[in-house]
Amino acid sequence: MTDTTTKTTILEVTDVSHTYGSGDTAYRAIDHLSFAIREGELGAIVGPSGAGKTTLLRILAGLLIPTEGSVSLLGKKVVGVPEGMAMVFQDYSRSLLPWLRIDKNVMFPLDQKSGSKEERAKLVAEALHAVGLDGHEHKYPWQLSGGMQQRVAIARALAYRPRLLLMDEPFASVDAQTRAGLEDLVLRIRDEYNMTILFVTHDIDESVYLADRVLVMSRPPATLAEDVTVDLPSPRDQISTREHPEFVAIRGHVARMIHGEDH
Amino acid sequence: MTLPTTSMPALPKPKPTLAGVLRTLLVKFLFGFGLLIVLIALWQFGTSTWKSLFFPPPSTIWDSILKTFFSGEPDTLFLTKAMTVDVASSLGRLLVGFVLGSIVGVLIGTAIGRSMALREVTDPIVEFLRSIPATATLPLFIILLGGDDGMRVAFIAYAVMWFVLINTAAGVSAIHPTVIDVGRAFRIPRWKVLLRMVIPAAMPTIFAGLRIGATVSLLAAVVSELMLATNGIGYRLVLAQTGFRMAELWAWIILLAIIGFLINTLMEVLERRLLGWHRLARVTG
Repeated sequence: MTDTTTKTTILEVTDVSHTYGSGDTAYRAIDHLSFAIREGELGAIVGPSGAGKTTLLRILAGLLIPTEGSVSLLGKKVVGVPEGMAMVFQDYSRSLLPWLRIDKNVMFPLDQKSGSKEERAKLVAEALHAVGLDGHEHKYPWQLSGGMQQRVAIARALAYRPRLLLMDEPFASVDAQTRAGLEDLVLRIRDEYNMTILFVTHDIDESVYLADRVLVMSRPPATLAEDVTVDLPSPRDQISTREHPEFVAIRGHVARMIHGEDH
Repeated sequence: MTLPTTSMPALPKPKPTLAGVLRTLLVKFLFGFGLLIVLIALWQFGTSTWKSLFFPPPSTIWDSILKTFFSGEPDTLFLTKAMTVDVASSLGRLLVGFVLGSIVGVLIGTAIGRSMALREVTDPIVEFLRSIPATATLPLFIILLGGDDGMRVAFIAYAVMWFVLINTAAGVSAIHPTVIDVGRAFRIPRWKVLLRMVIPAAMPTIFAGLRIGATVSLLAAVVSELMLATNGIGYRLVLAQTGFRMAELWAWIILLAIIGFLINTLMEVLERRLLGWHRLARVTG
């Protein structure tokens, strides 16, 4: 890793391996994976489909305990779902509760958190404003388009005020136009909230456009093929960033790694 | 920065208005009862032309209905003892039995639906027990619990429970793993995941079970009163039968049809109120 800043390490993945099953049917999804994410970083995990990206994210989220190695969040070893972490799921239509209105959906995970009712309501209003959903508080999720539903899921994660935001292929099921808007939304909230984000995607363009670092996973059993630093000018722009020679170079480099030497 | 804000076109409000409900009922009435009215007229014509001891004409049954149910004292709103004692106690037992059976069914069904291991262990037992016609177990209930109200309520609850249990187990086990992951990822307490995520998500399936259960509760209530009862609709049916009062027997049967219809309508209205989100989510989703 080339990053030499003194920023706090938020997430540390140490020699993580995961094997599903045992004996003859054992399947090794992840093999000796290590990396760290520092405060304020936006890391993108990219890899071929079936490379264990979802397995890795579930391990990071504490939803799955790896068979070997360890994960620590803010210096504490992850043994269950840790505090200070929020997640945006790919399947927004299932991750939102269709019988609750938008504001109640965003409020739902906050009930356990400390603070008065007014403070929590303020967090909800702020988060909905940050994702541009003012005026939609009293609608139901199914009254909104797919992109807007995913923004509700992002607002829910923001209102939770996590130290680390995990995003699991969040824009895989929205159209390209909406997707560009959502990508810029991620960049904007990252600046506004100084959020540390780990973003999983199978889309190479998306990973390079969004991230400070692209963590390229190999074919399974997945290991870290390369940790690519993306040094593109900020703020990023859907048109000029994607034309930037550096963008094109990194994009090609990552694509070659993922699709193999036959390209 | 502006984001594209495309929302779906405005949808009708999920809660039905009173006028809407009345209109639905009126249309239902015309479609559902038009043929019935014709049949009653035919019945009246047929039975007054060819006299039958077993099939009195509707006009005679109507007289019997008035006499049996609505010829009481003014201080009971002209309701007879048949209404204030027999119908009231049947409905009371039905309600308590239905609620108890539903609660037990939802509890056991949720446990089975949530646990793959429990499902595998209990599946053969559930399949076996629910195959026994509940009505056939009444003599057993009488021997075990005696002939009082408690036995009848337990019997109704038992009959209702299976339908709620099976639907709850099916609905809960069909919930997408993402729903559970959301609960875990946001560190939502287990009881809250269960009560405010899992059960609401399974509610459309659970409610289908509750609707069958409501119909079954009426059936079980009447059957439970056919033996060893001292009041209730079933008891009065037996009295009319043994006294060979055919018109009164028919009057009770028609009252049962009306009660059954009202129970089903009530459940339908409840479903629309509680699960409006589900109906509309399916239309737009």
